[in-house]
Amino acid sequence: MSASTNAVVFAGDDPADEMTLLDILDHVLNQGVVLRGNLVISLAGVDLLYVGLDVILTSVETALRHINATLPAEK
Amino acid sequence: MAVALNSGHRVIYLYGITESKPRIPEMIGVDRFAKVEAIDCDGLFCWISRVLAVDFEENLAHNMENLDWLAETSVAHQRVIGAIGGKTEILPCRLGTIFRTEASLCKHILKRLPTLKRDFARIKGADEWGVKVFEVQPVLSALPKVRSGKDYLEAKAALLPKRRKKAGTAEEIEEFERALSGIAAESAPAGNVSRGQRGLTFQRTILIPRAKRKKFESLLEKFAREWAQQRRIECTGPWPPYSFVSRPEDGVQFK
Repeated sequence: MSASTNAVVFAGDDPADEMTLLDILDHVLNQGVVLRGNLVISLAGVDLLYVGLDVILTSVETALRHINATLPAEK
Repeated sequence: MAVALNSGHRVIYLYGITESKPRIPEMIGVDRFAKVEAIDCDGLFCWISRVLAVDFEENLAHNMENLDWLAETSVAHQRVIGAIGGKTEILPCRLGTIFRTEASLCKHILKRLPTLKRDFARIKGADEWGVKVFEVQPVLSALPKVRSGKDYLEAKAALLPKRRKKAGTAEEIEEFERALSGIAAESAPAGNVSRGQRGLTFQRTILIPRAKRKKFESLLEKFAREWAQQRRIECTGPWPPYSFVSRPEDGVQFK
């Protein structure tokens, strides 16, 4: 569903799609398998995000640029 | 004496768990340095990379408050899981799941084996999707030239969406939710991070069987057309099924 229709805004399985950081965090922090290792992870800092919502309304463009720069060339 | 970058004690960062080990292109993990690898834990494959303890164990909570760090890490986390999930069913882990050793990881996998097996059955053949509905404000600048107050009010009224009298916003949203439930295998509370977005009136995370994807798309388009300029629907996915795997039963608060 890479193309958006006139009626619905779709974003998803096309690398060119723009998903906001908000959407990514909604999913990667929503639940997921949380395994308890010999270390209990503290995610207390996430609470700050709810307060600073306007601040994180940023695109993931910068993040993608950094990550792409470190990816190995395609073989 | 110069200290080499990325040197130091490393711990195991876990992305997700699969039942098979597909061939995937070489990937760099969340630290933008170490490669992603698969560890065989008694027949289940744990996808991991070895990250610096100083970043992901000692200072994880602090780093989570650094939005640049969080953005890069969460995108990298999702990319790795998305790439593996494109080849086989994956139980995705929440951002920041760390083990100190391979042995401790495998020990906990084995301990939770029955739950993990149930989760594989639960998410088989389905993807997670995020659906949001936003109220749309009418564009007042679109008002034509008016000569009187009555003209103005009539012109403004014409811009307002033509809603069915019998159904208010709540009823229409309920109808939408019921229609989604008819297609979704499961529904979960949506993530908390974006719940404060302006105009957001409905948000749900749902598990949609791949065989029903077309039906799902058609449903969204039908409601979006019906609501026209009254509301906007945003849909993201397919996501790995982050919201449809079990929490640990031991009641540990990960907060």
